[in-house]
Amino acid sequence: MLEILRFEFMQNAFIVGILIAVIIPLIGVIVVLRRLSPIGDALSHVSLAGVAAGLAVGFNPILGALVFAVTAALSIERIRKSIPEYAEMSTVIITSLGVGLAAVFSGYVRNANFNSFLFGSLVAITPFELYLVIGLSVVVVAVLFFMYKALFYMAFDEESATLAGIPVKFVGTVFTIITAVAISISARVVGALVVSSIMVLPVAVAMQVAKSFRQVTVLSVLFSVFFVVTGLFVSYYFDLKPGGAIVITGVITLAATFLLKKAK
Amino acid sequence: MKPKTIYIAIIIMMVLVLSSCNSRNTVRPGGAGKVSVYTSFYIMYDFAGKIAGDKAEIINMVPSGAEPHDWEPTPKDIAGLYHADLFIYNGCGMEGWADKVIESLNSPDLAVVETSRNIKARKAAEHEHNHNHDHAGDRYHDHDHGHLEENNLHSCGKDGYDPHVWLDPQNAKIQMEAIKDGLIQVDPTNRKYYEDNFEFYARKLDDLDRAYKKSVQEFTRREIVVSHEAFGYLCDAYGLVQIAIEGISGESEPTPAKMAQIIKFVKENDVKVIFFEELASPKVAETIARETGAVTDKLNPLEGLSEEDLKAGKDYFSVMEENLEALKRALGRVD
Repeated sequence: MLEILRFEFMQNAFIVGILIAVIIPLIGVIVVLRRLSPIGDALSHVSLAGVAAGLAVGFNPILGALVFAVTAALSIERIRKSIPEYAEMSTVIITSLGVGLAAVFSGYVRNANFNSFLFGSLVAITPFELYLVIGLSVVVVAVLFFMYKALFYMAFDEESATLAGIPVKFVGTVFTIITAVAISISARVVGALVVSSIMVLPVAVAMQVAKSFRQVTVLSVLFSVFFVVTGLFVSYYFDLKPGGAIVITGVITLAATFLLKKAK
Repeated sequence: MKPKTIYIAIIIMMVLVLSSCNSRNTVRPGGAGKVSVYTSFYIMYDFAGKIAGDKAEIINMVPSGAEPHDWEPTPKDIAGLYHADLFIYNGCGMEGWADKVIESLNSPDLAVVETSRNIKARKAAEHEHNHNHDHAGDRYHDHDHGHLEENNLHSCGKDGYDPHVWLDPQNAKIQMEAIKDGLIQVDPTNRKYYEDNFEFYARKLDDLDRAYKKSVQEFTRREIVVSHEAFGYLCDAYGLVQIAIEGISGESEPTPAKMAQIIKFVKENDVKVIFFEELASPKVAETIARETGAVTDKLNPLEGLSEEDLKAGKDYFSVMEENLEALKRALGRVD
């Protein structure tokens, strides 16, 4: 066996990394179509505020992150509907709210080196986090499997989706909640940087090469798994931070796709 | 939920957040006529209290449980500092905010004591610049001490020195002496009182030093695996070697290569204990312990104390003794 896989912590890093690399771009494809790609960043920051609030007030930080993220995601939807022509503003507003709240709450955190609790790391996965991510992945894949068609329809044209008999409101709300839960748990476990980058980067690469939206979906999952696995290998053998290595792998791939496309 | 209800809920929540009263600062009871002293973080507060006794009102700026490396003062803290007589801080890069605050404050009556000034600083083994962008810290306080450190002439010099000087009791003595001198400067009438207090604690520090030296002779091993590179002065003083998972600042994510290297070291040298810090997340230490069959134990770098410990009356001496017991368990003879 390769040396890198002999370590239990690396095995966990690969399992959790690959699972998250599958579910996050599945959500990402829809999110990108809805013009809400910064939502990964927004919700991770709101989750931080939730963690900070949990630590400050004394309830479970993961619960805090979940409650804050779901509330924020629903607020994004609401703001987006109030100013439909500038949907992206809604995520920016919520991002700044998240950063602001985290800063305020962190002032009240006692008995803890706040920063060390904020972000997860792929190389320090607890058994609880491992099971949590496995459970999360099952739920996300199951829900999206049943709703994917409806979600695509809605993302392109909400009005005709309504006319076609799709329960637009219900599907939209379920998707928003699933997005919030997936982002806040993943950000907690592997770090916000990894989450917000694999939400968008693989989709961007897939859009360059794919011929249909089915292909975009499949390819973005494959690319994102490729980024995470490559990033982990590179970080292990070149002594780099795993989060940074994953993002840089993604950006290099995207740049390479642009170049190849131009060369054709 | 109707949109209106959501907005009203949000407004109420925000107002609550902003108005929740700010009573973080620890204040030693004091009254009129006392010297007003501000200290930067827990260990400075503890030392200052020992020397000043009941002659000063001491306000600690960084809450005891918070992380002093990247804390930020509120306008209220600055206003209080402006009217204070004495500001005591560790220096050596520990409080990135301190130099900036002192410079901008320009208060003519404020005496400033940098307690690490007369200590020979040790270079950080590995200069960690905190470049990991997955942590929120970066957003609230960037490397804001960069330009300041170029023109200050501390013995620590520029960045890249280990600020955790107090973990060697002999350094703690130098720090207490600097605090004593500062107090005498602003309150010469109580000179004798401060000097007596200093003599008393200087003896206690020598006792502590002797206790460490004695125990170290019985250790069968020298290497300690710690979560962040804070124990350099302690190790230098007693001939130990620290293998740190993370650098001086202790908040960055370890690289997989570093993790693998430490796991190999732990296995090859049969290290029994992985040390973590009470105030930081123990996840990384636990991951290594799970992988190697070692156990985890606490070793406190005294950057802060939890509220329970404060209430239990713990201080520098009791925590340093706990640390010694932990070291004995990790390095002593296996019976």
